[in-house]
Amino acid sequence: MADIADYFRGFAVTFRKLFEDRVTGEYRGGRAKEGQPDDKRPKPERLHGRHVLNRYEDGMEKCIGCELCAGVCPANCIYVRGADNDPENPTSPGERFGFVYEINYLRCIHCDLCVEACPTQAITESKLFEFSFTNRSDAIYTKDELVVGDDGKPQQMPWEDWRDGEDQLTSGWMRATSSAGDHRYEGVVHWAGELGYGVRAPELGQSAEVASAPADGGEVE
Amino acid sequence: MSRADEAETVNVTVNGAEIEASPGELLIDACERAGAYIPRFCYHSRMKPVGMCRMCLVEVDTGRGAALQPSCMLPVSDGMTVETETDLTKKAQDGVLEFLLVNHPLDCPVCDKGGECPLQDQTVAFGPGESRFVEEKRHYEKPIAISDTVYLDRERCILCDRCTRFANDVAGDTLIHFMDRGNNTQVNTFPDEPFASYFSGNTVQICPVGALTAKPYRFKARPWDLEETISTAWTDSVGSRITVQSSRNEVLRLLGVDADSVNWGWLSDKERFAFEALNSEDRLGRPLVRDDDHQLVATGWGDALDRAVAALQGAAPERIAMIGGARLTNESQYAWAKLAKGVLRTDNVDSQLGDGLPVEAVLGLPRATIDDACRPGGTIILMGPDPKEELGALYLRLRHAVLEDGATLIEITPRAGGLTGLASHSLHPRPGELPALTAALVAAVNGEAVDTAGVGGGVIAAAAAALDGPVTVVLGRASLAETGESVADAAVNLSRLDDVSFLSALRRGNIHGALDAGLSPGLLPGRTTLSAGSERVGEVWPGLPESDGLDTAGILAASAEGDIDVLIVLGADPINDFVDHAAAVAGLEAAGTVIAVDLVRNDSIEAAAHIVFAAAGPTESSGTFTNLEGRVSVCEQKVTPPGTARPDWMLATELAHRLGADLGLDSPESIRAELVSVSPVHHNLIEEALAVGRIDGVLVEGNGDIAAPVSTTADVPSNDAYSLRLVSTRSMYDDGVALRHSASSRGLARGLDVRLSPTEFDKLGVKPGTIVKVESSCGQLLAPAFADSSLPAGSAHVPWSAAGSPAGSLIDAGAPFIDVRVERA
Repeated sequence: MADIADYFRGFAVTFRKLFEDRVTGEYRGGRAKEGQPDDKRPKPERLHGRHVLNRYEDGMEKCIGCELCAGVCPANCIYVRGADNDPENPTSPGERFGFVYEINYLRCIHCDLCVEACPTQAITESKLFEFSFTNRSDAIYTKDELVVGDDGKPQQMPWEDWRDGEDQLTSGWMRATSSAGDHRYEGVVHWAGELGYGVRAPELGQSAEVASAPADGGEVE
Repeated sequence: MSRADEAETVNVTVNGAEIEASPGELLIDACERAGAYIPRFCYHSRMKPVGMCRMCLVEVDTGRGAALQPSCMLPVSDGMTVETETDLTKKAQDGVLEFLLVNHPLDCPVCDKGGECPLQDQTVAFGPGESRFVEEKRHYEKPIAISDTVYLDRERCILCDRCTRFANDVAGDTLIHFMDRGNNTQVNTFPDEPFASYFSGNTVQICPVGALTAKPYRFKARPWDLEETISTAWTDSVGSRITVQSSRNEVLRLLGVDADSVNWGWLSDKERFAFEALNSEDRLGRPLVRDDDHQLVATGWGDALDRAVAALQGAAPERIAMIGGARLTNESQYAWAKLAKGVLRTDNVDSQLGDGLPVEAVLGLPRATIDDACRPGGTIILMGPDPKEELGALYLRLRHAVLEDGATLIEITPRAGGLTGLASHSLHPRPGELPALTAALVAAVNGEAVDTAGVGGGVIAAAAAALDGPVTVVLGRASLAETGESVADAAVNLSRLDDVSFLSALRRGNIHGALDAGLSPGLLPGRTTLSAGSERVGEVWPGLPESDGLDTAGILAASAEGDIDVLIVLGADPINDFVDHAAAVAGLEAAGTVIAVDLVRNDSIEAAAHIVFAAAGPTESSGTFTNLEGRVSVCEQKVTPPGTARPDWMLATELAHRLGADLGLDSPESIRAELVSVSPVHHNLIEEALAVGRIDGVLVEGNGDIAAPVSTTADVPSNDAYSLRLVSTRSMYDDGVALRHSASSRGLARGLDVRLSPTEFDKLGVKPGTIVKVESSCGQLLAPAFADSSLPAGSAHVPWSAAGSPAGSLIDAGAPFIDVRVERA
């Protein structure tokens, strides 16, 4: 008989949890019916989501097709090929632009090394991870899908669940120190502006001096 | 070097360790051998040092105290003490790199050199890590196209003098040079003169920064994308060693490999850039057959092979013929030779398209290697095509031998060429006069009195006096308007010289492999004849031809008469490549069934082929290549063939199988094994030797059973006073099939012109540049006439151009030489 008592004792945690508050949210992937809640949980500030290819404020693409992102990618998910810019009608500043740019999201592990490697801050990661494709060709994002639109906002695929304001969180501006990794440049803007957003303000730094300094970067998020 | 006489070796102390070095060796090389790599930009082991970049400064003490000296300019001396890693050396390296980077743009992400750049690598390894310069860098117009294939970005140039030294010292085309002074010094071409060198691609390869980049590779890939394998260049017969680099199953770049006995790392631009044809959209990916409307349509392999078998089964052996085969690997050539001669039992097989030499002259004379020809103190007799135009890498070796190693060059060519400026004596006989001239030369060497009509006896005597040391004759067919027999007769004469050997200068791809595989009438594999080798080969082959067959000219003539039922065209374009255009057209059109095996649709296929097999190209199948010395080197597969194209040897085995025979060949290795078993001359061609000779290849030596040629000279009738004797030579960019399908080299094809001796213009009553009509007994053409003072009086030069074969329309394959009338158009 003692065996049966042990059996129910084992369910003690289960029964206790039945009467506690639920931790899961009411997330319906943007397909909620009238009146149903559909909440996204707030995500950590440095979460790595799907990529965007940024453009300069004048509309030129930042990507120069250098393939450093593809070279550094540990999952081999990026395929880039460069080509000569047409001098009359250049796609990007300089000689070379990204002619082919593909990311295979079946392989991508969102490690962000591509963002670290990019010499022009062309590729950054958004916070979006709510994208669920149902076939392989949808999973391979081409340049047309990755590059931001004429308003600077990321393209929104039918299977992606973007919410208002999430397009603000697409930049690499929130680097803790500086892109050169040198703490002396903390809080100093040395990145180019982006189409639709201009020059993003720096994030609050981690060191005390900068944190106590008047932080004009604090207004974002 | 002068110190060489004093001692066998000298002792040098490098970073505390004593090493032995040979006298005259440069310190930078000695240190590298000792494991102390000294960074360098301007020093290149195949060129003379200049000490431009100062990167190789090391502390050297020769007894007068340690001081910084450039190790690339310093020959080792006994007792020298060298420190390559002291603080002083490091400070010097830091300083040099900081200065080099003052004006070097940091556009590495878009630079084609980025990732394989000596400046990048050495800055990381030896550089200061940070620059103190904040000033604006020097700016020039970003890449300027200095030729059809090379871009120059002067901002990136670090003025190391490598490209300019190569152009001036190695290639002899001083077309790029330093200009301006001080901070504004730049490398550039002369105004309005492009860097139109046949060797310009080498400057791209040796540039230590991204200042010189190649158009075919521009922005195609980054170094970390590339996979590579070693192979052999296939566009001419020098057999230059290359690495084939590809990305995503597409060949993107070829680089020269420093094979000491062959090309020293150099390539001609044709070898380097003609791979583009393999990636062209016109590549055959499926077999084709001609349908009822006379259109070539794609079909399956079963259908194409069955049609070919049906045609072959109905034909008697002597009514089957096969021409071409120089494009194939040795293994494929052997398989096709076994199919044609062993299974189909026809001897109407010829791999030379009427533009070569009798096989006895190629295989039956004492043979020389390139190194033999370039021996210091030897004499080179160039009696063949201009190597600069046809055998680029050989030209560079010969040029070096004459300029640097003291070889003597005597030129017996129809007109001046790339080496004329280096020749101690240049003899330019008229077509037909070669045998008489060489006989006179040999007589003069023997101290007999000479007199020939074309070239003065005095010149011949002077040339004979210059003959010194071992003699190497570079033997080939200089003019396509003169028969190979005439050249062979001249070779017979020269073979009477003391200590003479011959280096073949047949140009067409793997032609020497084809001859070794028996792809010539009367030959069997292994440099043997049908009579001498029948017992040995007959043991392995299912059968043999009964009698000697026809050469290409004979095959095409027989075909025009309706005597050929099946004509196999093995990677050749007879309409554009055979010396006699009209005979090629007539022969192809009259053949019963024409089976073509090729990479792209050429004019012969369009005009006459009934069945076309799509073959795998040189980077798409494995095998070996035999160069003009008989050196066998590997060609490894790097990418897959397009569509369902197959290696040539596989097509031969498949055809044999459907014909009811088994060739017993199932891989390139098994074919090599069988070749070794039937051919005594190939005895050293074993897999272990090929592995050891991965860079330099394996030399297949000996004449086998081929006897020396016998003189056949008939008297040369003189032409009448109104006609000129035709000379037709090839140029590197001859508009052949491979070049026509190479996007970046296509535009380099030379235009058609007529060259005449300056004295002819008065007789004709025209000025240079006027359009003239050139007419022979079988055709005519119109072209502007220009003067060429090297042409002997009474001759006219028309360049050989493959497209449309304008020179070929003047040539009659049956005539020993061609007389033409040149008139005001």
